[in-house]
Amino acid sequence: MADINQSGLLTVRLVTSDRVLVDTTAEAVELPSMSGYLEALYGHAPLLAELGAGEVRLHGGQSGNQTFFVAWGFVEVLPERVTILAENALHPEEINVEAARSELAQGEKLWQEAGDDGEKYDEANAIARQAEEKIASAEGHRS
Amino acid sequence: MANVLDLRRRIRSVKNTRQITKAMKMVSAAKLRRAQERALQARPYAQMISNVLESLVRRSDMYSDDTGDIRHPLLVEREEKNVLVVVIAGDKGFAGAFNSNITKAAHAFINGRRSQGQNIDIEPIGRKARDLVAKRYPAAVYEKKEEHYDNDLATHYEVIRHRASQIEVTGDHPTLLNKVDINEVSGLAHSIVDRYTRAEIDSVYIVYNEFKSVIAQRVVVEKLLPIRKLGSHEITVAEEMTEEQKEAAGHAAKSAGVSLTVPEESVIESEAKKFGTAEVDYIFDQAPEKLFRHLIPKYVTTQIFHALLESVAAEHAARMTAMDSATNNAGDMIDALSLEMNRVRQAAITKEIIEIVSGAAAL
Repeated sequence: MADINQSGLLTVRLVTSDRVLVDTTAEAVELPSMSGYLEALYGHAPLLAELGAGEVRLHGGQSGNQTFFVAWGFVEVLPERVTILAENALHPEEINVEAARSELAQGEKLWQEAGDDGEKYDEANAIARQAEEKIASAEGHRS
Repeated sequence: MANVLDLRRRIRSVKNTRQITKAMKMVSAAKLRRAQERALQARPYAQMISNVLESLVRRSDMYSDDTGDIRHPLLVEREEKNVLVVVIAGDKGFAGAFNSNITKAAHAFINGRRSQGQNIDIEPIGRKARDLVAKRYPAAVYEKKEEHYDNDLATHYEVIRHRASQIEVTGDHPTLLNKVDINEVSGLAHSIVDRYTRAEIDSVYIVYNEFKSVIAQRVVVEKLLPIRKLGSHEITVAEEMTEEQKEAAGHAAKSAGVSLTVPEESVIESEAKKFGTAEVDYIFDQAPEKLFRHLIPKYVTTQIFHALLESVAAEHAARMTAMDSATNNAGDMIDALSLEMNRVRQAAITKEIIEIVSGAAAL
């Protein structure tokens, strides 16, 4: 790659459906991939991963340790660059806990009603999990 | 002949109208600028989604090794028997021919498909589209069926559709345009994807007003599903602007201070084009097929989202143009009325002078 810098910092971009939310540098990025949290540092091997519900955390660099909650996303990690695609990204303090709780209740209701339909079951699980993560993120930030 | 007082009153009323149309034009221009900006900012995301998909398609086999079937139901092409048309118009009037152009294109498309004996479902977006469609075609009827089993411990819901006529309206989205929000669009996209997967519909088209700039827009019918080529817009019908319309739009934009040029590609946008396409071997955190399954509905969502944003921009542009010509027409009318008023006044003066002169001559 032509634009490898010597600083050891990753260029991080967080792109949401309506704008480029973050364009900065960081030493490390924590990502909530579908199969668990992973952390990308400078020089990471190229990786493509789907993100589940959880927090994207930026550390060091110009990022000033920012945290964002994403519900679904996609990430491309290159040795010197991390690009995160997310339909929505929120600061934890922006999360509406009340709404999240009702989403959780909704998810649980769907789960009850799913019967033996595997797809509906998965869907209900996804909704409930997303709501749980949302609440955890909002509360974890407050304490 | 009308007297001076009447004419003065009319002039005043036309002047008021001109004030209003002028204000509406400026409001639309401001909204247009915002809508344009939004459409522009949403581009990197759409670009990246289609890039990732493309790069996944290149890396993973589209066809399953064991069965030879296409891996994703949204890529399967079936004979078009049931067609879904998404019609995007505006919420409000006073936008010139904007809404009627859309409905005209939609009706032409629907009638063409009807004569081929295909069933058509319509999904209108925007109040104007809903009003027009609801008047002509019946709404689809659904029945919710409940099944209890395991001694009432589990309930299974099933929604069954009873098709009564060839053309039906399957839903409407009157609030979608208020604040184009990806979450709401995503709901619609999922319902469409769901219906396609269940083979309730065999293809999906979207009728909307494409917007590149104020003077480059057209009404298009775009094929949304099945996906044939990623990242490209498959336009089946397009109606370009006439020279006259372009001139009117150009004039309106100029007087309202809206730029006519298509904004240049930003750095981020050009980098977005490279997303996921680096010539390296990526590690896939999940199996490509799995990624694929989640990404395709997102892709459909962004396509609709994108169409909505463009349509909103086009609506404001159309309103701005319409209000600009209304303002001009009011100006012309004021000129004509002033001329007539002066003439009437002069005629009265002349008449009086003649009376005085002839009276003096008679002495």
